[in-house]
Amino acid sequence: MESLVNLLTVIGLPFTRLIFGAGRMFLLFIETVVWAFRPPFRFKLLLKQVEFIGINSLSVIILTGTFTGMVFAFQSYIGFSKFGAEYMVGTVVALGMARELGPVLSSIMVAARAGSAITAEIGTMRVTEQIDALYALAVEPVQYLVLPRIFAGIIVMPILNAVAVFCGTIGGYFVGVNILGINKTLYLQNMYRYVDLADFYNGMVKATVFGLILTLVGSYKGFYTKGGAAGVGQATTESVVLSCVLILVFDYILTAFMF
Amino acid sequence: MISGVDIQIEVKNLHKSFGDFKVHKGIDLLIPKGAITVILGPSGTGKSVLLKQIMGLIMPDKGEILVDGVDITKLDKKELVAVRKKFGMLFQNAALFDSMNVYENVAFPLREHTKLKEKEIRDIVIEKLRVVGLKDVEYKMPSELSGGMRKRVGLARAIALEPDIILYDEPTTGLDPIMKDVVDNLIYNTQKKLNITSVVISHDIDSTIKIADYVAMIYDGKTVINGTIEDLRTTDNPYVQQFLSGSMDGPIKIF
Repeated sequence: MESLVNLLTVIGLPFTRLIFGAGRMFLLFIETVVWAFRPPFRFKLLLKQVEFIGINSLSVIILTGTFTGMVFAFQSYIGFSKFGAEYMVGTVVALGMARELGPVLSSIMVAARAGSAITAEIGTMRVTEQIDALYALAVEPVQYLVLPRIFAGIIVMPILNAVAVFCGTIGGYFVGVNILGINKTLYLQNMYRYVDLADFYNGMVKATVFGLILTLVGSYKGFYTKGGAAGVGQATTESVVLSCVLILVFDYILTAFMF
Repeated sequence: MISGVDIQIEVKNLHKSFGDFKVHKGIDLLIPKGAITVILGPSGTGKSVLLKQIMGLIMPDKGEILVDGVDITKLDKKELVAVRKKFGMLFQNAALFDSMNVYENVAFPLREHTKLKEKEIRDIVIEKLRVVGLKDVEYKMPSELSGGMRKRVGLARAIALEPDIILYDEPTTGLDPIMKDVVDNLIYNTQKKLNITSVVISHDIDSTIKIADYVAMIYDGKTVINGTIEDLRTTDNPYVQQFLSGSMDGPIKIF
């Protein structure tokens, strides 16, 4: 009997924790939305976060996008060259970048770069009572700390995605035409014919959702940090892992939904 | 006992638990206006939790907390924010915003809650830093300050909005004897200069005797004594006597 109870505990505990965590994160999101419609509106803080999450991530995004496009051109060439359809490389690179690789890879890079920093910063504020100090000074921490970050994530991520897709397409063209020697006209012609703006919008929607996910997870993990410096370290790790997993899960959900 | 004075804060039959752990099992407390009240008690008896409840940061499970006659446990979030502006709080480690310099820290509540011009803010910040005995540190970051200086900056920030009540969370814990005296004097002088209500949480007997007008002692989730400093000296309550003598023998259980 006791071993049965133990078994149920082992199965049940992570599950209830998961539900509890998801619920708490969702409540934080709702609270953030509510505070968004109440004054004061702190545009300065928002701009600061746009700079931190967006502008400071630009170099990483350019590098990630370009190299992904270049590698993708090489890899898809292997397949297409087997039945003489090398000119389709451009189409596949552009489609893949716009619909999938652009949003997913750039979001994961930003989660690693900015999401982790959000958790570490808010988490440190939590364990050093700075969040209590905000309450004590009659300033709402969710509105002061979480709202500008989530807003900045939603604004900035689609723009970073556009940059990544652009760089990836250029990188793919460079490898396809200049290195692999695919006919320039055919490369571009097929790309224009088979890739729509709708594909790009599709990726933009994804990037917006991922921008929300990585800033929400980052803020949530930071906001509920406990246990001193070690707690901040653990929260930061959990934040990046959870962000990446959720980005991939929601990537599937959104892909299936917009298919 | 406390009588014949104006009461700023009254706590009635306060209960609070975290999970199965009962922190407060019916606390009654009177905090008179315009004086220093020290709340004593062994470590881990929920003194900080009590302070956070008085300020409306944590809600009690049962009981009333009257601030100027208003029961803050019945207020909504917006009204609570207004109540909090009556309070200034000095946290144990000052809790300065470490992304801002000293000037920005003290100016923070002014920027958030007033429409003062930059020039007026500057004057107030310099003034408050002077009250706590600091000058020429405005552009230092919190990480460059000593523990004692951080506490002073924290206090300057707490009094920036000219609150009616200042709460001190273990202000002398972890300080050397000289710094302790400095902080005691700081609390005492701030009180005299601004004529506000000060509530100090402490387990430091020497400091208490030096600065307190009124004292309360909490043990095992209940109020053991709540009266003047004279009441503390003359009581024959065994809990108080054990705590004052600093002995491990007596009714107080050691964990």
